Amino acid sequence: MLQIKNLTKVFPTGTVALNNVSFEVHDGEYLAVIGLSGSGKSTLLRCINRLIDPTSGEVIWNEHNITSASGAELRRMRRQIGMIFQHFNLVKRSSVMTNVLSGRLGYVHPVWSLFGRFSAADRQRAMAALERVGIADKADNRADQLSGGQQQRVGIARALMQEPQLLLADEPVASLDPVLSHSILRYLELLNQQDGITVLCSLHFLDLVHRYATRVVGLKGGELVFDGLPSELTPEKFKEVYGEEAEMVQVAPPHAA
Amino acid sequence: MPPENKPPSSPWFPALLSLFIPGSGQFILKERSRGFVLFLTVIILLSLIAWTRAFVLLVPMVFLFFWSARDAYRLAKGRQPGWGAALLLAGLVLYGTAIVVTEVRPTRLITGLPNVQPYLRSLFNPDLFEQPTEEITGVAPIMVPCVDPLPAPNREASTDHILIPEAPCTEVGNLLHITGEGFAPNESGQMQWIDPLGTPRRATLDGQVVVFTADENGRFETALTVPQAVPLTAQPAPGETLTHAVRAVQSIPSGRLQPTQTLSLVWEKIGETIALAFLATVMGVIFAVPVSFLAARNLMGGNAVTLAIYNIVRAILNIIRSIETLMWAIIFAVWVGLGPFAGTLALWFHTVAALAKLYSEAIESIDPGPIEAIRATGANWPQMVVYAVLPQILPTFTSFTLYRFDINVRLSTVIGLVSDAGLGFLVVQWVRLNRFSAMATAIIAIIIVVAVLDLASGWLRERIIQGKPIISSKNPVVRAAIKLMIVVAFLATFAWSWQVAKINLVELVTGAPKGLALAREFATPDLFTRPTESRAISTPLTVPCGAAESTIPADPDITLSVDCGDPGDPVVITGTNLPPNRTVSIRWVMPDGAFLRVKSNCCDTDGDGNVTLDAAINPIMVVEEGQTEPGRVEITYEEIVGGWQVTETVRTVIRLSIVTLLMALLATTIGALFAIPLSFLAARNIMGDSPIGRTTYYGLRTAFNIARSIEPLILVLVAATWVGAGPFAGVLALALNNIPNLGKLFSESIEEIDPGPVEAVTASGATRMQSLVYAIVPQIIPPFLAFIIYQWDINIRMSTVIGFVGGGGIGQQFRIWVSLNQYGAAATAILAIVIMVWTMDYLSAKARERLV
Ligand SMILES: Nc1ncnc2c1ncn2[C@@H]1O[C@H](COP(=O)(O)OP(=O)(O)OP(=O)(O)O)[C@@H](O)[C@H]1O
Ligand SMILES: [Mg+2]
Repeated sequence: MLQIKNLTKVFPTGTVALNNVSFEVHDGEYLAVIGLSGSGKSTLLRCINRLIDPTSGEVIWNEHNITSASGAELRRMRRQIGMIFQHFNLVKRSSVMTNVLSGRLGYVHPVWSLFGRFSAADRQRAMAALERVGIADKADNRADQLSGGQQQRVGIARALMQEPQLLLADEPVASLDPVLSHSILRYLELLNQQDGITVLCSLHFLDLVHRYATRVVGLKGGELVFDGLPSELTPEKFKEVYGEEAEMVQVAPPHAA
Repeated sequence: MPPENKPPSSPWFPALLSLFIPGSGQFILKERSRGFVLFLTVIILLSLIAWTRAFVLLVPMVFLFFWSARDAYRLAKGRQPGWGAALLLAGLVLYGTAIVVTEVRPTRLITGLPNVQPYLRSLFNPDLFEQPTEEITGVAPIMVPCVDPLPAPNREASTDHILIPEAPCTEVGNLLHITGEGFAPNESGQMQWIDPLGTPRRATLDGQVVVFTADENGRFETALTVPQAVPLTAQPAPGETLTHAVRAVQSIPSGRLQPTQTLSLVWEKIGETIALAFLATVMGVIFAVPVSFLAARNLMGGNAVTLAIYNIVRAILNIIRSIETLMWAIIFAVWVGLGPFAGTLALWFHTVAALAKLYSEAIESIDPGPIEAIRATGANWPQMVVYAVLPQILPTFTSFTLYRFDINVRLSTVIGLVSDAGLGFLVVQWVRLNRFSAMATAIIAIIIVVAVLDLASGWLRERIIQGKPIISSKNPVVRAAIKLMIVVAFLATFAWSWQVAKINLVELVTGAPKGLALAREFATPDLFTRPTESRAISTPLTVPCGAAESTIPADPDITLSVDCGDPGDPVVITGTNLPPNRTVSIRWVMPDGAFLRVKSNCCDTDGDGNVTLDAAINPIMVVEEGQTEPGRVEITYEEIVGGWQVTETVRTVIRLSIVTLLMALLATTIGALFAIPLSFLAARNIMGDSPIGRTTYYGLRTAFNIARSIEPLILVLVAATWVGAGPFAGVLALALNNIPNLGKLFSESIEEIDPGPVEAVTASGATRMQSLVYAIVPQIIPPFLAFIIYQWDINIRMSTVIGFVGGGGIGQQFRIWVSLNQYGAAATAILAIVIMVWTMDYLSAKARERLV
């Protein structure tokens, strides 16, 4: 279980990206995080695995406090939490295989791994992960030779190497076309249903939220403004999270958003 | 494997082949290029070893042969080939030879340290201000030796500051007591002895310099040993004497601090440095613009004629560019004489070529749309240029020009190493005189000048690239006034620079014959020669008649119109059956072998091999008493005795070219090895925002920038003192320059990496080291390699001139040849440099293409 308690993040620039956000995520949920651009979705997800240090508040993961962890303890928690990125964040010049293996770094020996040595078991696990996302034949290609959808699948395979219990996905489909979006989200659904991995995924499109999520939280200006089932997220509610802005866009001066 | 590609039955066969001829096994296994590369590498490495005689390096070579066999075996078995071990072995041999050839002696870095310490210390103690001093001197004559009667001295004693020797005369070696009165109280001074010619020397007592201090009344007493001031050969005759003198000198500080002479000299040379750079850039632009249009493919590609012009212009520009500015300076110094003018010409020449290339590339990359549109309106070529081309290229042109100005400033700080212009001249001079604090002043001036002008042009460039107006005021009157001021300032600077650079166009014309002769010799490099042997034919000439009888017969091919005669009598010397159209030398030869040319610059044989010379018998031919043989007349010439061969020059040039390449290789490697770790410490995104991180970052970046502004040519001066002149000094200087240079480039490319993968790897629970290896290193390898290749390219160019000031390599030999007027040989060196630079340019462009 993941508990977010009174999470606040103020950037050095003074931007309040998260303002006293609290909610809980139960094991096995597929939670969608929605909100306008700049509402704090990425900040929220990055505070969970401490890529960003929150200003105040706590993140509790299975009884362990992530916010106060450091060093090896923090890395041990991080390796249970996989992450998928909007821009895939692959090392473009490395092979697909190396990229996937790099998801295993939290488990392997910190020194031996520096020389590119991975155990045969890890290599098999990487092949299995690639097979699972359907691109085993691309293992030896350079990452930048793959299409966007394939690259995101490499990203998923990399996260799978961590054998995660929780998967954070920050707009995993925002750089992809609708057809590919479905295929990627279906992989996440599969992991959620077959492996019981909890998924936290920020999304932009209402239809995707309805189709995949089991629960939805909405952020607006860093504050939690919605927490409920997708069915409760009527177009009216959706507009509450997004709507005023949509109206504002029409009349707003350019500096508004 | 398809059947037609089936390898020979056993994998041992290609393996065995490759063991004896590396690459051959790979070759028959259809890995043609792999085999070829391997074979070529082995040949090159073996010849390097043979040449350097560093036979220890045969050990890795043996391993390389085994590797080749194993590789062929593995290939035959159908396994994936790699290069790793072979690269390691080949690198071992290559660097081994490089170390031998460039005479790297790491111990000298330690043993030579005391020699450079004064330089380092003086950097913190530049020679900036001094207290002016006033000299108080008193003189008294003294006669040496004593004679009776003693004549009056022929020089006066001083009256205001009085010196009184204990006696009016003395003897060499005696002790002489002196009292002084009327000197500055409580100040010390020195005693001097002045010889009869007026030359002073320090007075000594028991080998110690005599120093005195006046008491509160301005009196002092001192003593000195009378020196042997007159050479033994010029001693006065017995009974005579000479007037010497003793002198006491106090220098006491007076008045306010003033800039030293060093500082004012440096100040003057700062002006010269800037003027040279400015003038060369302005003149460079004026010439480069029209040339660049001729060198732009999109403008010249229209028909065969313009295309031909394009190709010729391009080729000339490339040749000019591949010869370093300093080399041009040496060449121009022959033409117009040493001085700022030669330096300006060289800078200008190189600038024209470099800018024309950059400009033409800018022209080639313009949008063809507007050109088509203007063409379509029926405009002619100049109209098209003015309306469609110029508006597009002006910003790029200005930016390139500023960039070149930066380079010219740097270059004009070193042009003084070969002429006498700019700050570099002061540095060399003061290094030679061991005036370290003066030298430090000049070096600090260089750093400041380069930094300030870099900043200024950087500011301007930024504005131009961002399209910001240079003049921020909106008021039209103010704008017009500022514009006028800029124009006036520009013209004034130009006029001043013209003056400072001592531009003397007349010299260009009067020197033209020399320049042309030079060009002619340069056009005929010493490539091939045929071995020759000296031949001489002679016949006796008895002067006067009957004085002696020759026992040595005359050669039949030389005849004289007379057999004997008196000095001054006319004689016609005729040679026959000599090689046709050849320069021969005709001489008077005395029996003892001494000789004298009958006529200087004489003579050439005609097409049939005959030569005739009218002369008058030289008096040296007169037979002296006791001589039994008469003198002879001799014709000497060189006869070709073999086929064409490459000259010794070519062999020297090839050897030095290899040395130069290896120098550049070593320097780049050393530079990169040190720069890599430093660059991480100088990258903002790695160091973070902690106080330590920021301090390290700013400190290192500043250090890089300061160290970068000292040209390698100046560093060589220091390196040569440190480890002795030669290639090692060159390597050291280049490396010292490469570390900050590469460090800056590396750290900038680290700052440009994509943070995404780092984030992803960190999120998976990786340590900092792991994320460095898996997310950062793969991203920085291509830019690092590209920069290393780029630096090697620059180093090769640099190491062609680094020898001018003690850095070894081909530059050193070039300068020697020019100073010996052996222009043919110098031209050979230049030819080699052009080939080397072009090859490297080509290879590095290829390599860079593969990297991105
Ligand atoms: N490193 C940072 N420094 C300062 N401000 C930041 C930083 N990162 C984000 N912000 C600000 O915090 C706010 C929330 O940003 P965040 O990236 O979490 O939004 P988001 O909901 O993910 O938006 P998007 O949909 O565009 O990705 C924004 O106003 C943003 O400008
Ligand atoms: Mg975001």
